[in-house]
Amino acid sequence: MADAVRAMAQEFARDPDSLVFLRLGEQLRHRGDLEAAESVALAGLDRYPDLPEARDLYARVLVDRGHPAEARQVWESILAVEGRYPGAHKGLGFLAYAEGDLDAALDHLETALAADPAEPGVIEALRIVRTTVEEAEAEQVVPAVFERLDATEAGMLLIDRRGRVLGGTLQRDGRSVADEVAAYLTGVTQEAVRAARLLRLGRWEWLIAEGELDNLHVTAPTEDTRLLVMRERSIPPGRLAFLAAKAHDAAREWLEAQRP
Amino acid sequence: MTIGTEAFRGALDAITRVRGVRGALVVTRDDGLIVADTLMEDVRGNAVAALTASLFSRVGLATGEAGAGRAQFVHLQAEGGLVLALAVNEELLVVALAEAGANVGLIRLEMLRAGEVVR
Amino acid sequence: MSRTVAVQPWTAAPLEHFISEAGARLALLMTPAGQVFAQHGFTRAVDVMSAAALGAAIVSSTGEIARMLSEPRFAELGHQGRGYGVFLAAFDTPLDSLVLLAIYGRESSLGLVKLFYEEFVEEIVEVCPEPEPRTQVLAADFERDLNASLAALFET
Repeated sequence: MADAVRAMAQEFARDPDSLVFLRLGEQLRHRGDLEAAESVALAGLDRYPDLPEARDLYARVLVDRGHPAEARQVWESILAVEGRYPGAHKGLGFLAYAEGDLDAALDHLETALAADPAEPGVIEALRIVRTTVEEAEAEQVVPAVFERLDATEAGMLLIDRRGRVLGGTLQRDGRSVADEVAAYLTGVTQEAVRAARLLRLGRWEWLIAEGELDNLHVTAPTEDTRLLVMRERSIPPGRLAFLAAKAHDAAREWLEAQRP
Repeated sequence: MTIGTEAFRGALDAITRVRGVRGALVVTRDDGLIVADTLMEDVRGNAVAALTASLFSRVGLATGEAGAGRAQFVHLQAEGGLVLALAVNEELLVVALAEAGANVGLIRLEMLRAGEVVR
Repeated sequence: MSRTVAVQPWTAAPLEHFISEAGARLALLMTPAGQVFAQHGFTRAVDVMSAAALGAAIVSSTGEIARMLSEPRFAELGHQGRGYGVFLAAFDTPLDSLVLLAIYGRESSLGLVKLFYEEFVEEIVEVCPEPEPRTQVLAADFERDLNASLAALFET
């Protein structure tokens, strides 16, 4: 690692126009060498004042150095030019979470996720914020989405159009993977809708995916929501579809009941 | 042993003989390109290939994260038709495009047979 | 301001549509001589110049191979790396021949890029303005035009 940092520093010294400063600054941040990280970030900004990645790096260094207000200004300046830049939304989401503004944190992180659906840092940050939100809402008595079904709610997820979990649970190796799967599912259904449209198949209705271990059934109870039902492969696809239909109806009823 | 595209086409022909099937293809998973196809005239094979490969790839991310294992088969159902995709190996998919009410079980059977030829 | 910058404004919307659907990270629309009409995602003028020059050279050299084979011009070229792919294609418009260079990551694919490239060509041809009468191009004019294009592409 030290050799890599040294090599990058030498390259940057040799060629100040090189974009290696982005990786170098990031490595210095991770090592805790914040003064050096800030110098590198500022040198890079000097060359590339309008590069979103350069501003993003500088903002992250500012947060590390305990200057969140300045960092916010930098991220907002990025969004003024490039409104969906995921790094800026991720940073502002982090600041909002730190300030206790969970709604703003969710808005920013979901925008970041929509711009880059597979970014693991954003997915993890969303998971943390959503867990906090769920804990905060735990006192509210809201009936579970699938409570009227005979089947367990486990292995079912109802998510909104922004990939937020509205109900259900999904576990893997003893921990919840609901948020992560919800994020990937958003990408799946977006692609399914696009494929149906471009192949002139009409409106997309549902999708079944068979995995090595489990099968997944994905449908849309309403235009703004997606429903996942997952069961072991030993459950025949027809029975999975039947269960999914019951879950679909339960989800629609629940959604209707939540309307003000 | 090298399997020629004629053998692929023979396998695909069996799929297209199922009523309601409008096209069958062997598609590369990474690139979404056609290796072999048997298509009705109005079917845009390159669009089927690219979009199905992309969808399958995203489904694979979801099944992996959910702990369901690697994606093996995908059935996309729309109002006016359906797409079926079978993973033959790490590199290839067998894809079928059919009318909405086509017999999926029969198509799937022929796709599995085609997969044996292609593998 | 988006990250698509067009010296020729009529190219902006089709290029943005292509980028959005194909999921390409970088794109360059240029003439076979390397004059850039629009770009997306590039942050340095030197990178645009390099990419344009290399793309034009590739089109020219593969054109020579096509001629040796008595083939019409090769329409498309693709290179796939571990993390990125490069797609290069030449097509005709009423105005001029144009070349699209697109670079995509693992979230896209050659198939998707080719698919939406076809739509891109249709859209470009549809919005392409009528050609102006040709005048003789002098080396000094070419360099002036190139510098003006680069300045426009990176104007803040």
